[in-house]
Amino acid sequence: MHTCHSIFCITPPHMLQEIVRNGSATQRDIALRTLITSEQFRGQRRAMKTMAAFMSAAAETGNKRRAVYDAKLGSELPGTLVRSEGDHASSDPAINEAYDGSGITYDLFFDIFGRNSIDNKGLKLDSTVHFQKGYDNAFWDGKQMVYGDGDEDLPAAERLFNRFTISLDIIGHELTHGVTQYEANLAYWDQAGALNESLSDVFGSLVKQYQRKQTASQADWIIGEGLFTSNVKGVGIRSMKAPGTAYDDPILGKDPQPGHMKDYVRTVEDNGGVHINSGIPNRAFYITAIELGGNAWEKAGRIWYKTLTEKLQERSTFQQGCDLTYEAAGELFGANSLEQQAVKKGWAEVGISVAGDAPSGCLSTVLSVFGISLRAEK
Amino acid sequence: MKILFERTGGIMGSKSVLNIKLEDLPSNEADTLRKLLSDADFFSLSEDLAVHPSPDAFHYTITVATDTIQHTIHTSDTTAAQELRPLLQELSQRARTLRRP
Ligand SMILES: [Zn+2]
Repeated sequence: MHTCHSIFCITPPHMLQEIVRNGSATQRDIALRTLITSEQFRGQRRAMKTMAAFMSAAAETGNKRRAVYDAKLGSELPGTLVRSEGDHASSDPAINEAYDGSGITYDLFFDIFGRNSIDNKGLKLDSTVHFQKGYDNAFWDGKQMVYGDGDEDLPAAERLFNRFTISLDIIGHELTHGVTQYEANLAYWDQAGALNESLSDVFGSLVKQYQRKQTASQADWIIGEGLFTSNVKGVGIRSMKAPGTAYDDPILGKDPQPGHMKDYVRTVEDNGGVHINSGIPNRAFYITAIELGGNAWEKAGRIWYKTLTEKLQERSTFQQGCDLTYEAAGELFGANSLEQQAVKKGWAEVGISVAGDAPSGCLSTVLSVFGISLRAEK
Repeated sequence: MKILFERTGGIMGSKSVLNIKLEDLPSNEADTLRKLLSDADFFSLSEDLAVHPSPDAFHYTITVATDTIQHTIHTSDTTAAQELRPLLQELSQRARTLRRP
């Protein structure tokens, strides 16, 4: 067995990361070696990559670099640079929202998950605002975030959409697509695509909750609050708490999201309904977070983050999303921990059961042989 | 000349459809569309320009039919050529006006 420095042996990785970042030189050294050893011990696929990231995060604390560009209602990307890191605020709210929103998203990923930007290597966060005329959308193009102004070109009485930077969770959603691209790299169709979409909603919502310092029960779990004008009967584009209820409008129609596998929508449009069936994993996350109470980013968020960065793969299915979040919860908090039970309940309520119900995680299994429970980590 | 335009995807995953006959439009509007089609060199565009779906980007399918020729293309916000974008924007804006009840 490897050498064990008492406390560090039963300290969870996220705390070790904190020590790597903030501890004394000796503490850092021990924590780093413990991380390396335990990662190797678990034989996780991204162990060395993760270690490199911890070390670079330790070396580049606060390496946040943002740039906002203005497409001036055209479609050339990225457009004209209008605000760089450290520049004064603009008189244009869209520019400031893109700047501040990507900053808060960076902070959530860095402060809570120890991640240094989209690629975990400090990638510059590029956003373009004022994309095209009357563009009712925001997207991630593989390199940057892009935001339209909604229905800015229509008379006020006909406008349905405000500018897309108005919702912080939309910004978090787009930036998370970048994180997913660098990690699980989930395909963008069918269930893998819906998981991809759901992860963007999960971390988008967490960004908003983190900024507002809201607990899971205080949060509204709405995606895109403020995006609709008062002409629309709706509170946002999606509800993670109650998929299918975000809007019901004579022009936009009704929110089509299911919140349970029995209502899974089979379609070829929208890459196989990636924005529709994401309601199912969204609700599984919501239920898990509510079960656990407190701030959703602290436990549920950490479980989903570990799953995104270490477990999910390009073609993962909902069933694998369930099994792997369950496995991640076991590794982080212990087999049969309250956290792992909450994950199981979250998925069960949307109609997906953990496969086999086996005790999870190689590390916890081996440690249990030595009488050490990961429950002591908390 | 007829244009059938379909836009799907986007962050809401919604769909809008526009079906227009140029002969039914005021002549200046029909001229604008003819010019946009010609600027995009529409009939020589390859059919499938949307190779890899990008998160939240719109996907567009446009079919243009005259008495003698019909051509369909698929493209997206991330793959469309610059010359095609003014046409995509014009058709998207027109499709949007249909959403009034
Ligand atoms: Zn998305």
